[in-house]
Amino acid sequence: MEIGLIGPPNVGKSVIFSRLSGVGAMSSNYPGTTVEFQEATVHARGRKINFLDLPGTYSLSGTAEDELVATRLLAARKLDAIIAVVDATRLEQGLVLVFQLIELGFNVIIALNMMDLAKRRFNLDAHKLAAMLDVPVVPTVAVTGEEVDTLIELILARKLRPSTFRVAYDHEIEALLAQLEKREDSKAEGFPVRGALLKLLEGNAYFAEQFPPPLKGEVKEGRELFRRQHNEEIEVHIARDRFGEAGRVASAVTEKKVLAATTGERISDLTLRPRTGVPILLLVLLGVFLSIVFVGGFLETVLLSAYKELFAGFFIDLANWIGGNSGLAIAQGIDLSLQAILSIVIPYIILFYVMLGILEDSGYLPRVVVLLDGIMHRVGLYGRAIIPMIVGMGCSVPAILATRVMESRKERLLVATITVMAIPCSAQTAVILGTVGNFAGLEWAAAIYIVLLAILLILGKVLHRVLKPEPSILMIEIPDLTVPRWKNVLWKTHIRSKDFFFVAFPILFVGSLVLEFLVHFGILASLVEPLSPFTLGFLGLPPIIIIALIFGILRKEMSMQLLVILFGTANLALVMSPQQLFIFALIMATYLPCLSVFAILAKEFGWKDTVKITLASVIMAFGMAGAAHFLFHLL
Amino acid sequence: MPTEIEEEYLETIYELTERGQAIAKTSEIAAKMNLSPASVTEMVQRLANSGYLDYEKYKGATLTVDGLRIARHIKRKHRLLERFLVDVLGVKKEESHEEACRLEHGISEDSERMICQLTNNPQYCPDGDPIPECVDKQCPQCRGLPSVRLGELHEGESGEITHLKGEEASRIRRLISMGFVPGRTVTMEEHAPMGGPLLVRLQDSRVALAKDYADLVLVRAKECKPSGSGASPPAGD
Repeated sequence: MEIGLIGPPNVGKSVIFSRLSGVGAMSSNYPGTTVEFQEATVHARGRKINFLDLPGTYSLSGTAEDELVATRLLAARKLDAIIAVVDATRLEQGLVLVFQLIELGFNVIIALNMMDLAKRRFNLDAHKLAAMLDVPVVPTVAVTGEEVDTLIELILARKLRPSTFRVAYDHEIEALLAQLEKREDSKAEGFPVRGALLKLLEGNAYFAEQFPPPLKGEVKEGRELFRRQHNEEIEVHIARDRFGEAGRVASAVTEKKVLAATTGERISDLTLRPRTGVPILLLVLLGVFLSIVFVGGFLETVLLSAYKELFAGFFIDLANWIGGNSGLAIAQGIDLSLQAILSIVIPYIILFYVMLGILEDSGYLPRVVVLLDGIMHRVGLYGRAIIPMIVGMGCSVPAILATRVMESRKERLLVATITVMAIPCSAQTAVILGTVGNFAGLEWAAAIYIVLLAILLILGKVLHRVLKPEPSILMIEIPDLTVPRWKNVLWKTHIRSKDFFFVAFPILFVGSLVLEFLVHFGILASLVEPLSPFTLGFLGLPPIIIIALIFGILRKEMSMQLLVILFGTANLALVMSPQQLFIFALIMATYLPCLSVFAILAKEFGWKDTVKITLASVIMAFGMAGAAHFLFHLL
Repeated sequence: MPTEIEEEYLETIYELTERGQAIAKTSEIAAKMNLSPASVTEMVQRLANSGYLDYEKYKGATLTVDGLRIARHIKRKHRLLERFLVDVLGVKKEESHEEACRLEHGISEDSERMICQLTNNPQYCPDGDPIPECVDKQCPQCRGLPSVRLGELHEGESGEITHLKGEEASRIRRLISMGFVPGRTVTMEEHAPMGGPLLVRLQDSRVALAKDYADLVLVRAKECKPSGSGASPPAGD
């Protein structure tokens, strides 16, 4: 059986999907997380159910990319039923989507989500709603898993059928529909005639492809006539009738409780009003940064010392047991890759994702977008770009995926480029703080961040000139602020960081083994010398650092570990001057995207632009490093 | 005030002269109203005496300024009623004319306003003839007092969306999807700083939208509501 899952952004659709399927669908409190659909197959009582999570969409009438993707998917798959996730606190909006699904002949089940929140504001009669719409209604609280099972029961019972409910439109729209229905060529493949024709009248791009030109000609005439007589586009009028009907249904099934604003709502408001919101935003961002620096640093120290306490002896034994240079190489290779996980992934990356999860789940991110939109415009960016950029502080890969919320490709490219080149990911942050921060002083680390900020501003302006993207204009729904649920936050953190264990760790492991062999068999030295005019002469760095730079392509955080291996000491201050550390960290913070970023860029934007971004970042990183070396030399 | 039959005459003359014809001949009026030329001549003279018509023997009649005002108003009611009967009640187009003819003389200005509002200030009757403009300056529905852009609402002000206006269909559709649909109520909550987005409440949800989007949404401020609510005192005919 094929079951679709559809709903506007922000209604908990992905959470329901992951509960239904047991698969980790990413849910977020900002629109556009489900940019690609996900599928999951589950077996329940001997039946195979295939769940399909459609992109979050407010309606099926538009021409917007997400709505079109949803329409095409609906058309391509023969869905046995579709679960429409409706936010009980915003019933009207959800019902409008339900009406459209009913019109298109689907077997609809309504998952009335956020019932816990809705109950505080009004009494909602789910039975009456089910009776009025002639579809099953399941009240759910997806985030706690309540009654998600009921949905599976309903699906398995196989009693679903199309609803008999229908929205009555304006008389002339109905007359036009009736006139079109009589035509031979008005039958669309797989959809009821009325529903398909309504979509055609609304101007849905998918349905426009399904009908022959003569019919479309008649529709065009009908639309024009309607516009002349009503002084309004037909799709606006259709929407008006739907919202009117939704309002009628919503008020019939709900009974408002009169409530004073709760403390939560007042806080919600304070974070949104610029006068109070901007200071709060600054505090939040500062809090995130400081906790990464201090909590992350603390965790790193604790974990590493515990690790050394437990395993240091073991690896010495291991080296001795295998014996020779190979023994040293293997033991140190394993040792260092484990240390990298403990010193980077757990303290910094996981911590960052926990915080991002909290910001997302609480509904705070859209507020960031709104508060910063104005100022972002001044620097040639858009409020929307802030989400990829914040995500990019964790890892550029999800950040590049998050650029899909942008309207045009040019804009996406612009934001992706900036994210890759000017936003330090958590690995880069770890390198910056772990090298310059630790051994040269915080003022040197701050200088790197100032340089990055300058790059961001300049790059924004320059790319704006070069790419000339269509001005993007913002429209985003702001959810109420809620207390984040730990389950969700941890779940997201798990999904986001598991790649580090299953993808990054093996690379790191093999990489450090290979490197250790090269070091212990003296092969590395022969690679280092020929490049010394560049490293020593141009960059002013110890020639051996080229190894760290090369391995930084694999993973940025490795470069710091490599420095330790290469110099044979953990105290980098002994082997490098503050200036050298600064130059090294500057290169690491800006140059070449790591392999996984490279791959995702190529996938999203094609090879040509990927190569351009890569070259630009390499030239910029080494150019700045060279310039810094020159400057230090002068001083 | 003219009687019902007098209104019918003025309306007929208006219709005859609507499409550029300068003068309505008594024979034409008689044919259109299915009356004898003699009684038409008598009535036309009476209307001319009351100042509603300019009448020249053997040539015909034209509406005076006063006459034109009354004729337009009655025609407006007629065509609005047709719109109402067809769109809202679902009466057949062919039957709507007859019925509107009978109703047009009886309906109050308040009802006229409400019908105008209900049918979204239509410009044409079901047959495609133009509906004369509303002359009531108090009625915010009229084109004389246009709706304002959403962005022009002050913080804390509410308005009803009257229509969406813009060349780009895709943007209009995005607005519709988001719930910016005529008839719904929006409240302006905040103008974000530095040219940032506008924060509005749209029934149960809250939306931040850039000014470019807000400019496409036209609203009628809620404060002054001479029509619609039953609370407002009737103007008194």
